[in-house]
Amino acid sequence: MTLVVLLLAAAVLPAQTVQDVVRHGEDVFAKTCASGYCHAAKGAVAGGAPRLAARGFSQEYIANTVARGIAGTAMPAFGENLPPADMVAVIAYVATLNGIDRPSLPARLGAPAPAAAPLSPEATRGRELFSDATRGFGRCSTCHEVNGIGIPVSTAIAKIPADPAALKALTTPGVSSATIDGETMPILMIARRAQSVSFYDLTSVSPVLRTVAPASVQTRDGSNWRHASAIASYSETDLAAILAYLRAVTR
Amino acid sequence: MSLAIYDRQMRIALLLIMAAFCQAQDAGATHADWLHYGGTPFSWRYSALDQINTANVQNLVPAWIFQTGDYVENLQATPIVVGGVMYLITPRAQVFALDAAAGKMIWHYRWPAPRLGAPGTIADFNGNRGLAVSAGKVIFGTADNYLVALDQKTGQEAWRVSVDDTKQCGCSITAAPLVVKDKVVVGGNGGDAAHRGYLTAFNINNGRLAWRWYVIPGPGEKGNETWKGDSWKFGGGAPWLTGSFDPDLNLIYWGTGNAASDFFDADRVPDKTKNRDINLYTASVVALDADTGKLRWHYQEVPDDLWDFDSAYEVLLMDRQVRGRMRKILVHMNKSGLTFVLDRTTGEYLGSFNVAEVFNWIAGVTENGTLVGRNEPQLGKTGLFCPSAAGAKSWNSTSYSPRTGFLYAPVNEICENVTSNDDKPKEGRTYMNGAFPMVLPPNRNTYSHVDAWDPVTGKRAWSYPYRFVLLSSMLSTAGDVVFTGDPEGNFFALNARTGTRLWSFQTGAGHRGAAVSYSVNVRQYIATTTGWQQTVVGGGALGLFPQENWRQGSTLVVFALPGASK
Repeated sequence: MTLVVLLLAAAVLPAQTVQDVVRHGEDVFAKTCASGYCHAAKGAVAGGAPRLAARGFSQEYIANTVARGIAGTAMPAFGENLPPADMVAVIAYVATLNGIDRPSLPARLGAPAPAAAPLSPEATRGRELFSDATRGFGRCSTCHEVNGIGIPVSTAIAKIPADPAALKALTTPGVSSATIDGETMPILMIARRAQSVSFYDLTSVSPVLRTVAPASVQTRDGSNWRHASAIASYSETDLAAILAYLRAVTR
Repeated sequence: MSLAIYDRQMRIALLLIMAAFCQAQDAGATHADWLHYGGTPFSWRYSALDQINTANVQNLVPAWIFQTGDYVENLQATPIVVGGVMYLITPRAQVFALDAAAGKMIWHYRWPAPRLGAPGTIADFNGNRGLAVSAGKVIFGTADNYLVALDQKTGQEAWRVSVDDTKQCGCSITAAPLVVKDKVVVGGNGGDAAHRGYLTAFNINNGRLAWRWYVIPGPGEKGNETWKGDSWKFGGGAPWLTGSFDPDLNLIYWGTGNAASDFFDADRVPDKTKNRDINLYTASVVALDADTGKLRWHYQEVPDDLWDFDSAYEVLLMDRQVRGRMRKILVHMNKSGLTFVLDRTTGEYLGSFNVAEVFNWIAGVTENGTLVGRNEPQLGKTGLFCPSAAGAKSWNSTSYSPRTGFLYAPVNEICENVTSNDDKPKEGRTYMNGAFPMVLPPNRNTYSHVDAWDPVTGKRAWSYPYRFVLLSSMLSTAGDVVFTGDPEGNFFALNARTGTRLWSFQTGAGHRGAAVSYSVNVRQYIATTTGWQQTVVGGGALGLFPQENWRQGSTLVVFALPGASK
């Protein structure tokens, strides 16, 4: 219940009637819950997910389920994904579908959570470029995870280069070389175990996490791999914007 | 020339003709092994084994049963059998190697709990439809968009490669990969989200990227002009099932998904007056060069798809006499039930037939394949459309028997009430722009049927009606038996020539997967997955019959004849 209480406390609702909140909840429900293969419109019949209307649900049950989801089913935890005002509204709406005509709303609305500082236009563009899907695997997020987006092939970005030139010239001492069956390739070593060696093969993107028998591979420090070629799809301006984004989110 | 020599030459010529015919007849058949998702890369789901046949099928008994223990969703994967070992994958990508004669576990691999995608998107559902085995590797896709290769002997991981970022793309991999020579090709879903679909090929030995083909052409590429503005970036088209491969033509064939958003087209269609090639290459069958992934030809089945009528389903390759000429054809069922016959060398339209009995989305199809009398969802109005987005057929496969020449199809008669909206896309989030609760069509008391269709004449030879829905794949065999399962738990056999029900066994849970046939030490087995799907189409279908209780589960049941040698 803690999570739900926190969420309700954090909800920001202007002076609204229950009716307004429920109406907003109906809108949230239509777009979030009755969309795709999940609950049908107004929860009236089963879609890909169960019918929700006239099930005799209590508001507490609804609030818990919306916030936490149902483990082992497709019902997700919306606690992390819906803005608090939408959470309150959609819970109230589903309550009305279950005969609760006057769903309870948070009596005292807490102060708004401190909003993250807005990104500058350049940093906003940098965020889009960082994970720009139109570049296929030639995007930063193929190897870096920032703010939950991207594949963490590389360890977290600790030091942000000063400018695009420095980003291109970046030395990568973590990248070494491996030779298998006479072929030498740039690698990022992940684990050496008695029975197996695991490393990212950086020959192509997306990097391949390979696991081989220790005897089948020889490794050495250094490589011919260059960060500059991994970021070749971006222009200097693009890279400057990406750096602005990274500086903004790792302040 | 003496008569004897003439006779001998005639006989050789006849033998050669027969050999060529048998080759064509046999190209899509499986024998002892079941090596591919569709049986062979021709995707017939047909076994040449005939130990089990119409005369003795009623004697089938369970030989062994395997419970996967992964009960989060149903077992829906087509098992693969190689040299007496079965490879099976569960909804959360646990992989098992089993002794195919005794069911004993040889090894077990467990993919770590994936990072799922945005709630409510398809990337947030569990499910896996199969794996591929080749070159000493067992290869499969995951809910968090990795392609993974295990050592076939030990089950130890050999490589894994990220295909996309689930947190961003609203996509996941549920399809079985297709092995094409030294590469493994895999499609993903996500075409109901703001996402741009693609196929990706990797080197089977080391997991390195070989090629990627985007369903939707980028700026400057031919076909991009069939998209309005930037809509190509999020236009869907995800090829979410498994394709086919013709080694002689060196072409792979794949069906692509619906255009996004599904039920609203004003933001993606630049010219509403056109009736061909709109939003390429969504809702199409494409032929790609197997080595480079370059597009050779395309045929768009549903231009400007407004009904979520993907063309993502299996592509059956066969050689058949068409209007007096032996041709290399492909047979492909669209989700609407409209089934296309194309020349697979050129993509030429040869004909089509409609397997759905209840339909109102189009009035018909012209002689050259153009859809006419389109009945489209209208913004601000709720309309009844048949078939539903669940499909006249779902993703479960048809089967083709070269002995009967029939395509066996599980067909559902379900409609839906579509209310569309004009929401804007948000990358990786659901982008269907419609609610579409399913409803049963009036004045019927059966809502599905197993059909036998001659794909060349487009005639239905027989139809076996069933009360509820049929959402499991078909298997046909040289014993002239057709197998499939129903949601009530019955696994049953029909006579391939007449549709007469020959045998049935209650397996204890609903069927929403696939059956295969194989042999070990000359004993023929029939294996079926069980377990009703609780989400997406399985869950939706159950909602139509609320008095029913179609059980979930995740169990493989394997049958054989009691008298067969062991």
